[in-house]
Amino acid sequence: MSGLPSESSRRRSVQRTVTGYLFLSPAIVFYLIFLIIPVGMSVYISFRKWNMLVPLSSSTFIGLKNYQDLFRDELFLCAVKNTLIWAIGTVFLGMLIALVIALLILNIRWAPFWRFLVFAPVVTPLVAVARIWGSGIYKTSGGMLNSILAMWQLPPQHWLADSRIALFSIMSVAIWASIGSTVIVFTAGLKGIPDEYYQAAKIDGASPWHEFRHVTLPLLRPTILFLSVTGLIGAWQAFDLVFQMGAGGTQSGVSAVKAIILLNVYLYQTAFQNLRMGRATAGAFVLFLIILCFTFVVLRVLREGGVESYE
Amino acid sequence: MNRTRNKVSLILNYFLLALIASAMFLPFFWLVSASLQTYEEIISIPLTWLPSSPQWSNYWEVLTSPNVKLGLYFKNSFIVSTVITASVLLTSSMAGYALAKLRFPGRDLFFTFTLSTMMFPTFIFLIPVYYILRRFPFLGGNNFLGQGGSGALSSHAGLILPFVVSAWGIFLMRQFMMTIPDDFVDAARIDGASEFRIFTTIIAPLVKPAFVTLGIFQFIGSWNSFLWPLIVTTSAQHLMTLPVGLRMMVTAYSTTTVQNRLFAATVLGIIPTIVIFLALQRHYVKGITLSGIK
Repeated sequence: MSGLPSESSRRRSVQRTVTGYLFLSPAIVFYLIFLIIPVGMSVYISFRKWNMLVPLSSSTFIGLKNYQDLFRDELFLCAVKNTLIWAIGTVFLGMLIALVIALLILNIRWAPFWRFLVFAPVVTPLVAVARIWGSGIYKTSGGMLNSILAMWQLPPQHWLADSRIALFSIMSVAIWASIGSTVIVFTAGLKGIPDEYYQAAKIDGASPWHEFRHVTLPLLRPTILFLSVTGLIGAWQAFDLVFQMGAGGTQSGVSAVKAIILLNVYLYQTAFQNLRMGRATAGAFVLFLIILCFTFVVLRVLREGGVESYE
Repeated sequence: MNRTRNKVSLILNYFLLALIASAMFLPFFWLVSASLQTYEEIISIPLTWLPSSPQWSNYWEVLTSPNVKLGLYFKNSFIVSTVITASVLLTSSMAGYALAKLRFPGRDLFFTFTLSTMMFPTFIFLIPVYYILRRFPFLGGNNFLGQGGSGALSSHAGLILPFVVSAWGIFLMRQFMMTIPDDFVDAARIDGASEFRIFTTIIAPLVKPAFVTLGIFQFIGSWNSFLWPLIVTTSAQHLMTLPVGLRMMVTAYSTTTVQNRLFAATVLGIIPTIVIFLALQRHYVKGITLSGIK
């Protein structure tokens, strides 16, 4: 026994570390240029008045003014409120509907056909989705929904211009457009539940509702947790639909904009239309804080009393 | 009594299925129909479900119109999505291999960092990234200090560079490679194969399904991406991708008498991703379930 093996094993571990970082190097360089340095710059920008037209070095330091301005801006507060409604509404209502669909098509014939049907909107560009709903379904005169209302002698609605319902109209589109992937994740979760649990429930004489409530739902908890966390992170940053069906639209008045504006649309307008880079980055940090808080809360709530506590 | 209840629930089942089917299908049907209608049919009340005679000329007009550069939008979208997809496949599989099959200090920290980046809102780095790309030295007429021109933002590079690495891709590849038994890798190591050789000759062929899944996801995702191309192409119209181009057509056409062309263009814009999805549906579904379960 000499020092040789440990010597060579140390050499090997150094070599392995070098190899590991070589494999990671593209990602590390990328993170540095497009993530770490930019986030650092954002912190800096959020304390400054800057319009992007002059070099960043000639911007002026204004302390916390960007953050103060944000909370004095009514449009920003509307955006925060709408984004909360949007995220919670689209994610949890979407999950509820998706679960119903997943249960309905679980053991059905032609499953791939049904899967394609609910999934087609997911791969469709949202520009096209916005067009279909904006000019087909929600159109005020001669649109699909108002034609149905007319059949029942009901007055037509301004689905996208009426500030009381516009946000919910667009949220429905968002649910329609994204429900396919939720259905598929639920389908996988449902298929992962072992049959024995259902057989045991049958023997105990459980009704379908009891079976769902005490077998299916608890065992789906990891799936629900995953869908809530990823769904919310995406939903906080929704942009395309609202930008195209409302805020970026042509005929919406100011009150309608307040009713539907979302944080990412607000940040886009603040940065690239009003050229207030400082205020926009400050807003991004507020959004980050919201995302962090909600992710934490969802993890806490849904992890407590998970599958383990039923076993 | 039990039988009547079964019957009721069966009828309810079929009713719900019919409702779902029409809610998912009718909007698409209407779009295709509208793309073949005359202007009078499009603005008619009540809604026209079927054109009296299909106006195929709508498609012809939108494809040959000098104002709408649909061909250019397709080309840009294709270049950008293909290059992003290729580089994401490469960078994700490399990082995934290191995270799944190599042991070295800092590995787990890197993985945690990668996961946490998924929580970062886009706008936290978007403005500096725009600035950095515009100030990229030696590109787009810039000097070595990054001044004078529009940097990487005047070429496809501006649309591609911020997306060449994907945290989700790294995560997916790692998960997939974790399922490959270590024995394969260890046996090759004993035979004296280098890690690079193991990666290219053993691991890469084994994770082919993951490549397909990630590839489709990334391609469709890039094809449909909107916010960044919108920002970049506002000042570089020759780079417009399909979603942004369609969006521009909407603002130009939606109130005019040629809006039927807009619907034809929208149908054309939907076709590529739908075809890809139809052809590779199984892999796409697998990607979703793979990321969802573990």
